[in-house]
Amino acid sequence: MSHAPTALHGNHACALGAIAAGCRFFAGYPITPSSEVAEHMSRELPHVDGTFIQMEDEIASLAACIGASLGGVKTMTATSGPGFSLMQENLGYAAMTETPCVIINVMRGGPSTGMPTRPAQGDIMQARWGTHGDHPVIVVAPASVQEVYTQTIRAFNLAEEFRTPVIVLYDEIVAHLMETVSLPAKGKAEVKDRKWATGAEVGFMPYAETDDLVPVMSRPGDGHRVHVTGLTHTPDGFPTQKPELADRALRRLVDKIELNRDRIDEVEEIETADADILVVAVGIVARAARRAVEMLRAEGVKAGLLRPVTLWPFPEAQVRNAAERASVIVVPEMNTGQLSLEIERLAGRGKRIRTIHRIDGEPIGPDEIAQTIREA
Amino acid sequence: MNEMVRTLEPFEIKDYLRLQLMPHFMCPGCGHGIALRALLWAVHELAIDKNKLAIVSGIGCSGRVGAYIDANTFHTTHGRPLAFATGLKLARPDLTVVVITGDGDCLAIGGNHLIHACRRNLDLTCLMLNNEVYGMTGGQVSPTTSANRLTTTTPGGNAEPTFDACKLAEAAGASFVGREVTRQAMALKNVIRDGIAHPGFSFIEAISDCTEIYGRKNDLGESPEMILSQKSDMRPEAFGNVADEPFRPNRLVTGILAKQARPEYGAAYRDYAVRVKSKPGRPR
Amino acid sequence: MSSPVKSKGARPKTKAGSDTAAEPAGEPVKPARAGGNILIVGVGGQGVLMIAKVVALLAQKQGYQVKQSEVHGMAKRGGIVFSHVRYGPEVWSPTIVKGEADALIALEWAEGLRWLDHLKHEGVFIADTRRIVPPFACRSRKAGAPINYAKETPADIVSRVADGFALDASTIAEGFGDARAANTVLLGVLSASLAYPEADWLEVIEASVPPKSRDINRNAFAAGREWALAARANPTLRFDSSITSYEAPAGLLQPKITLEINAAWCKGCDICVKLCPERCLALNAEQVAVLKSPDACTGCHICEWLCPDFAISIRTSHPEPVTA
Ligand SMILES: Cc1ncc(C[n+]2csc(CCOP(=O)(O)OP(=O)(O)O)c2C)c(N)n1
Ligand code: SF4
Ligand code: SF4
Ligand code: SF4
Ligand SMILES: [Mg+2]
Repeated sequence: MSHAPTALHGNHACALGAIAAGCRFFAGYPITPSSEVAEHMSRELPHVDGTFIQMEDEIASLAACIGASLGGVKTMTATSGPGFSLMQENLGYAAMTETPCVIINVMRGGPSTGMPTRPAQGDIMQARWGTHGDHPVIVVAPASVQEVYTQTIRAFNLAEEFRTPVIVLYDEIVAHLMETVSLPAKGKAEVKDRKWATGAEVGFMPYAETDDLVPVMSRPGDGHRVHVTGLTHTPDGFPTQKPELADRALRRLVDKIELNRDRIDEVEEIETADADILVVAVGIVARAARRAVEMLRAEGVKAGLLRPVTLWPFPEAQVRNAAERASVIVVPEMNTGQLSLEIERLAGRGKRIRTIHRIDGEPIGPDEIAQTIREA
Repeated sequence: MNEMVRTLEPFEIKDYLRLQLMPHFMCPGCGHGIALRALLWAVHELAIDKNKLAIVSGIGCSGRVGAYIDANTFHTTHGRPLAFATGLKLARPDLTVVVITGDGDCLAIGGNHLIHACRRNLDLTCLMLNNEVYGMTGGQVSPTTSANRLTTTTPGGNAEPTFDACKLAEAAGASFVGREVTRQAMALKNVIRDGIAHPGFSFIEAISDCTEIYGRKNDLGESPEMILSQKSDMRPEAFGNVADEPFRPNRLVTGILAKQARPEYGAAYRDYAVRVKSKPGRPR
Repeated sequence: MSSPVKSKGARPKTKAGSDTAAEPAGEPVKPARAGGNILIVGVGGQGVLMIAKVVALLAQKQGYQVKQSEVHGMAKRGGIVFSHVRYGPEVWSPTIVKGEADALIALEWAEGLRWLDHLKHEGVFIADTRRIVPPFACRSRKAGAPINYAKETPADIVSRVADGFALDASTIAEGFGDARAANTVLLGVLSASLAYPEADWLEVIEASVPPKSRDINRNAFAAGREWALAARANPTLRFDSSITSYEAPAGLLQPKITLEINAAWCKGCDICVKLCPERCLALNAEQVAVLKSPDACTGCHICEWLCPDFAISIRTSHPEPVTA
């Protein structure tokens, strides 16, 4: 793989990653601080015979993406808090109908219109639980421009492999940060495609229970005339209200993510092997945490960092493991306590947990984290 | 009737239905079934390959109709089928995409998508089944409920003004607009057929009867009485322009109400892409 | 309205049903120096107005004053169309009163019969035998049912008028590639009754038709003229004696109608029962539609189209026509 280093903004890297991953349809609605993703996609897509459309709102944007994906094309939309809220119903539809699509959510200060140009991490829980009902979802949380690029590609691959919506969650700082990234040569990125039916299968079931629990998808026009519905459905695609069939259908949705975690999980661990003080952080905050860990290690403190790169499903085993060895866990985050809820749940009784919450639109710096660790 | 139509095999609705799901779930006498027949009949006359037909529907009794069609069927979210269809058609211009929606689905929750779909003029056909009520949720008022009608949320009679959906669509730029009653099944078929054949966004309103809920609540008679009254309630197009003395008061005009040649958006975007591609000095 | 053309008083025996047969005249009618009254009748889409225009132009060419009036409408739907052409040294009224037409040209058989009372006793009657049966002439909605429509045969009529010609102009025109040129065939027939130069006829016809159909019209005119001259010489050729009856060949074309009701799909909504124009359906005790009087069913499809549950299907099969 040859790498060409380039300086890019996070949102630009996102668009380039999407194109490299094979995204050929983008529908979106402008919102700070994600708009540049749409702007770059509008320029890139015509050159690769793709389609860009600015829809009338975010509901329509995700709907159009799902429509295009059902047509057989890889699709993406990008938004921020208010728009992400509007997308929730269709996000659930994509999960229920097992339609691959990628949703970029660039977090800004909330609630409501909040602080459009300031960073935040207030959507960590919404990304997981924003829609109604039980549903599986995959969320990746890049922390650098390079990672925005690679994680966007990975998001597409996960979406295709597991036929699920995948959310790429980063914040305003990463979106507008300019960093040097190395891009693989054209066509050299590792790209995965969903399993396609040939159209010749006899007795094809659009939601059949396959070995890895991910059904084979049929492209309209290829011969299987299937039904797609957000109603709870049986393997033949048609609605059911029979308790045992509904249970089976919904459990498969959850299981196809849970039972394939070895292909989904990704965490970054820095000096956690002997860490007595474990910092758990995501996204931009993890970068500050990493610096804090380095500072403290220099001071002789056994600090370590665990950063979920795949944020959802949450890396429970990895967190439990690292937490077991540590006496104190520090959780810095730009919200009033979302990641820390997960840590509290996993750390086990009696574990000391120190949290740092910032909701003033300012990032959490290394000193602030280091100070908390020192006091821990 | 044109030549192509005449040389076709006779229309057998069973060729277009998912027989394993029949009989369908709709109430006795529900007009949505008649509209479904008209749609399938139009598809037959246009000799559209079922594999290349995509039906995108919203939520409501109207939205459930799509599942019975032996084609690529997408039952989406309430009010959003036009947005789903927009993505599907842009990604797959080779498919014939027909949206089935209801008066609530299309004009209330989905009203914004409707006006923008009309404006874009993408080659979609939107078939709105107007029964003046929210049938699926048990009979609440809708944007097309006639004045003084009883619904579960207008227990004293509807006081809200209504939409003329066809005027709305035309004003928003739909390049084909038509309306027909289910009573005139063949005429409805013709309007749908012409709408699907029209290159651009076609909006077709089918006046349908919600017999079980709306009919009962308002004492509009049994199914036959309801469908018979459609005829006298509607004015043929020829009388539509008699401004001061309508044929029947307070009623809508039927037929093809607007047709204009406007650039189809999918083709326009693809042309744009060709132009952009051929320009040197591509912006990065 | 005062007419400059005085009625001759005596009513010509031209009414259908009149039993006084006239001897067909052997010689072409010489147009009176005073001018002429030509009545052209038919239904929408046949080209009545084209004939009227040609006659008017022709008369103008002979130096006459011309007045033409017309009624047309429902052009595409078989509605009635007629035109009066009056010409002479001086013409006041544009319409021809009963019994004053020198020539009656009918593009449709029944229309010709309807207007017979406008023809002068010695006037010339020229008609296409092709019939266009209007919907209101159907007494029963069953396919192939007898129709309430003029049953007089060409032989009946031609023997009843002084100077009659009945020919299948549409078929002749079809032979030249366009049935719509039947009107020009009839002009050819008329030309044999009016002593104007053939070249004048052709000139005005060419001026009245689109350039690309000139050849067809020239041929159609020549064929009509030739047929008329032959018929004048031999009165047995004045009508097609093979047409002995216009009664429908009873039963022969009755299509077979099969109406099937899928009881498993029927929800007993009653729509088909109440909307069948022949009232041949009913709901049985289980509230399922049944065909109560199959003989009354016309196969109109209304029940099939309006059944919200697709429970009715109608198939109509046409038996092969019996060929000797
Ligand atoms: C977001 C959302 N809100 C509300 C509903 C509930 N709902 C289902 S169908 C319907 C109304 C359907 O009315 P209409 O579009 O007129 O269709 P009909 O049933 O009359 O054919 C509503 C409000 C829903 N499914 N989703
Ligand atoms: S509730 Fe009304 S609209 Fe819905 S199926 Fe019944 S009759 Fe039709
Ligand atoms: S219209 Fe159809 S469903 Fe209704 S009674 Fe007749 S056959 Fe039965
Ligand atoms: S086809 Fe149906 S509606 Fe027509 S006459 Fe026969 S039974 Fe009656
Ligand atoms: Mg409704």
